[in-house]
Amino acid sequence: MTAITQSLSQFKGSIGQHFRWDYFLQDNVTSSIWLTIWVALLTMVTAVYTIGQVASSPVPTLIIIAIWVAILGLAIAGGLFQKHTKVGDWLGSNLVGSISNALLTLLLMLWLASAFRSVLSYAVINATFDPALTAPEVRTKDGATWGWLAATNSNPEVIGGARDLLLYGRLDRMFVPRVKAAGLIILALALLTVAANKTGVWQSKKPVSQGLTYAWLLSPLILFILLNGVTYNPDKPLINFSTLIMGTIGVLLLYGFSWWQKIVKYSLANVIVAAVAFPIFYVAWRFLAQSQLFPVINVDTWGGLMLTLIIAASVILLSFPVGLILAMGRRSEVRGIPDWITWPLVIIFTVWGFKTSTPGLLADARNTIETLIAFWPILIVAIGYVIQQGFKGNIVAAFSTFFIETIRGVPLITLLFMAIIMAPFFFKSGTVIPNPYAVIIGYTVFSAAYMAELIRGGLQAIPQGQYEAADALGLNTLQKMRFVIFPQALRILIPALVGSFIGNFKSSSLVSIVGLFDLVGIAGSVVGNAQWLGLKRELYYGMALFYFLVSFTMSSYSRRLEAKLSTGQ
Amino acid sequence: MEQPNQPDISAAPTQYVPFWRDGRVLGVFGQIIFIIVMIVIANTLGSNFASNKDKLGEIHCADGSVDEGYRCAYDFMQANAGFDISETVLPYKVEDSYWQAFYQGFLNTLKVGLLGVILTTIIGTLAGVARLSSNWLISQIALWYVEIMRNIPLLIILFMLYFGVILAGPDLKETMQPWGLPIFFNNRGLNFPWPQFTSSAGIFIAFLVLGAIQYQVVAIALDRREIRTGKSSNKARWGIFSFIVIAMIGWFAASAMSDTEGLLVTKASRIREVDDIERIILKRADVGLMSLVNDLPKEQLAEAALTVCVLRDSPSEVNFISQLRNRGIPYSITRFDRPDQAVAAYGEGKCEVFAASKSVLAAERVTLENPTSHLLVPISETPVVWSVPAFEGLNIAGGSKLSPEFTALLVGLVLFYGGTLAELVRAGIQSVSKGQSEAAQALGLSESQRLTLVVLPQSLKVIIPPLIGTYLSLIKDTSLGLALGFSDMYRISFVTINQTGQALQVVILMMLVYLAISVVFSVLLNWYNAKYVIMVER
Repeated sequence: MTAITQSLSQFKGSIGQHFRWDYFLQDNVTSSIWLTIWVALLTMVTAVYTIGQVASSPVPTLIIIAIWVAILGLAIAGGLFQKHTKVGDWLGSNLVGSISNALLTLLLMLWLASAFRSVLSYAVINATFDPALTAPEVRTKDGATWGWLAATNSNPEVIGGARDLLLYGRLDRMFVPRVKAAGLIILALALLTVAANKTGVWQSKKPVSQGLTYAWLLSPLILFILLNGVTYNPDKPLINFSTLIMGTIGVLLLYGFSWWQKIVKYSLANVIVAAVAFPIFYVAWRFLAQSQLFPVINVDTWGGLMLTLIIAASVILLSFPVGLILAMGRRSEVRGIPDWITWPLVIIFTVWGFKTSTPGLLADARNTIETLIAFWPILIVAIGYVIQQGFKGNIVAAFSTFFIETIRGVPLITLLFMAIIMAPFFFKSGTVIPNPYAVIIGYTVFSAAYMAELIRGGLQAIPQGQYEAADALGLNTLQKMRFVIFPQALRILIPALVGSFIGNFKSSSLVSIVGLFDLVGIAGSVVGNAQWLGLKRELYYGMALFYFLVSFTMSSYSRRLEAKLSTGQ
Repeated sequence: MEQPNQPDISAAPTQYVPFWRDGRVLGVFGQIIFIIVMIVIANTLGSNFASNKDKLGEIHCADGSVDEGYRCAYDFMQANAGFDISETVLPYKVEDSYWQAFYQGFLNTLKVGLLGVILTTIIGTLAGVARLSSNWLISQIALWYVEIMRNIPLLIILFMLYFGVILAGPDLKETMQPWGLPIFFNNRGLNFPWPQFTSSAGIFIAFLVLGAIQYQVVAIALDRREIRTGKSSNKARWGIFSFIVIAMIGWFAASAMSDTEGLLVTKASRIREVDDIERIILKRADVGLMSLVNDLPKEQLAEAALTVCVLRDSPSEVNFISQLRNRGIPYSITRFDRPDQAVAAYGEGKCEVFAASKSVLAAERVTLENPTSHLLVPISETPVVWSVPAFEGLNIAGGSKLSPEFTALLVGLVLFYGGTLAELVRAGIQSVSKGQSEAAQALGLSESQRLTLVVLPQSLKVIIPPLIGTYLSLIKDTSLGLALGFSDMYRISFVTINQTGQALQVVILMMLVYLAISVVFSVLLNWYNAKYVIMVER
């Protein structure tokens, strides 16, 4: 479609020679029957809507129409007098490029303005921000009541705010400083990392990057101490020597294995570090418990934003290793169990099943379904067939694939529900699992299945040549992964991991459905509170805004990171 | 070319890999260890579960005996559910079994899921195309729509829609009626016109099938003619034309042949055909024209109104009421669940006419005191009746109704996944290189040909694989209906667990059904993808 501006500039250049109204009309209106109908319809709708708007609120509408006329004029004039300014050209091609575009622009400008006005009058002009004006009889009628959302309820005499409830839920307020400290530590670490990346210190100074990496690795432990506390049992001896020796041997064995697989170097210093790491950690832990500096918090009282963030962070942290194992399992290419082992086994088990179980089941069967169930040994043949044909006898890959696809096939809340209700049954009787931990387990299982697919994508993105080069160098599997594949795959994966964290942050709202008091869950009980009755809208709008701001910031940062990484390669 | 210095390989002794480094042996060995570890884990969990099993409660068989094993694990589902479900696809009663209730939940899940998939496709495609619009405002609005949907949890979107829009909507007295159309919106839901089948719909549908076959026949015949004579013809046009002709014949045939609906009236009422009702009402209201009747004051109107008895949700109800509405006849309606109740009310004079199918009327007339003083008046019917909602006293009756929960869930899912889909569509369209469009233009293809023949087939290849995942997520997320109180499968299961305490069985059943839906859906879509989309690639 030729732009109006272009047509009119031709009009100006040589009147009656190049500009032809019939061409202009054909381009903008009559080139096809559908275009004509569309333009006619659009004109009608715009006219009706504009008249309605002028009637209901004349001043702002007329201002908008004036702006539109100015844009149109600028674009036409630019073409008419051959004065191409950047602004004029941009307006001409992006807002008023053709008749239908110009009409659409007017319609949308009017609509946006009226939507903006009503939002503004609800959220700002008619709204109150004073927490004292929260009680039903003093609320404003047409506007929102925002104040109570951000105010603390320090004075129980007056109707206060819901901020502390929304932040910490039903946590005992004496623990709030510990939560704040935990939040500050993570915030500081995040800011330092971003700053180090921005200024380039991360790349240039190795101690900085190493220090920050160790700080990040250590942070889960610190957060656990702050948020969960350290159990102290006065009946237990301060230092249990069998634990101490077993732990030390365990760490030394791990070091020995890594050295044997040639992924760490051998040096006396390393051996000493490996030997004393566990004792130091163990003794420090016991003394921390003894000192009772960080008494245990009842995990079931966790709530509010704090719980949301704890769940999102722990799930991403735990699901990464599980997902990694699953992804490696699904991709594993170990030689499968050969046919001549599988089929005899399958036949033996099937015959055994038919002999021992089927007759009894058949005799007891009460309906068709139970009769069919009696023939369950056929499933053994089916499983054997799938493993041999689909996975070439690779049981590890078969199991990982089955696990991943099953978990991905069910909704998250069924897994959360399963975790809360069923998880205690799979532990030793008498074990009590607090709901937040049960939910974290269930969510981790779910998230790991998705994480596994992300990681698999990351591993697949590494060119085959890298694997082959590592093989050619004679690296063993662990070395290949540690020194060649992971450093590259992690770089590809970082944006996806950030995206996954945002996803977890958003989806953790679902734990409210199984009865936890995360941000959304506590919101449900906040609006049930008599003093805040009828403020549901404000609360959910506020929360939507909060979630939007947080995830939008994170996702735009991750997008920039992605762009940077992809250009850096 | 031979290299003179090449060592003679054949002379060197063959070195066999020792078995502890042989990939085949190691693979089998590693897998045996894997199986053993798995068995140990399963065994630990299983024995823990067995020791905790008594906490789950006893399993009772249908005959009341206690089951030691798991044979009667699902027998409790045969008992009466005892709870009502506010909206169901098929009729459901409180006395029905838990299986029935679960099945209704399953159908509700499917209903929201399938409708959601269809509407999401439309909204997502529109938004994705709008993202690439040449109008800056449109593309910016689409961009912000996508960003908002991507960065707010679905649950909060649902809550905002439910509490902030629908429940905050006008109440029944201030029901909104946009532009005076027969669409009613209030905080109890959305009522809108909806076609309903009457008893003669079967004949009409048979004709529609015939028309579809005819379409194919016409297409084949025109193809043959084209091969024989070389004359091209517009197959779609002639096909659709023949289809419409047959559908119209079917419509009139069904209307003429149907003779199943009737009214039961007393002889004294002097109603001999439906047109008589109009005259009688005019006389009763003492006005000359039907259009004036509805301007009468309320009390007078109520007096003049025709009193009607019908069976709830029967085809006659829809058919007769829509005829009364079309003629503008005022009426007051009483609905009954069973014919004998209705005819008893009619016998007592609570209503002047009883509308039902002729067989029901003939059977029920005999039960009246004096059967010969009652007449059966036939009423005509069209195969499909446009059921229009209208106020009946304090309620809105007729048409189709969307409950607030269903509306919030469906709209929320569609908006949320529409945002996801928009990004897929945009990426798909952008993945087709500009040269393709330019080449199509150079070949002289029209705008629509360029889109349908060149751009779309290539972008679909990129769009469809992630689209499958999006659809599956949408179907799984219908389970969030629980938070709004929509009776989907998850909520019904939840209620069942609360009533029976048999959590394990119900949760397993539910997960299996979700899994089955996912598997069936992804198999179907993958098959479609393989057959119709990948094939396009050459």
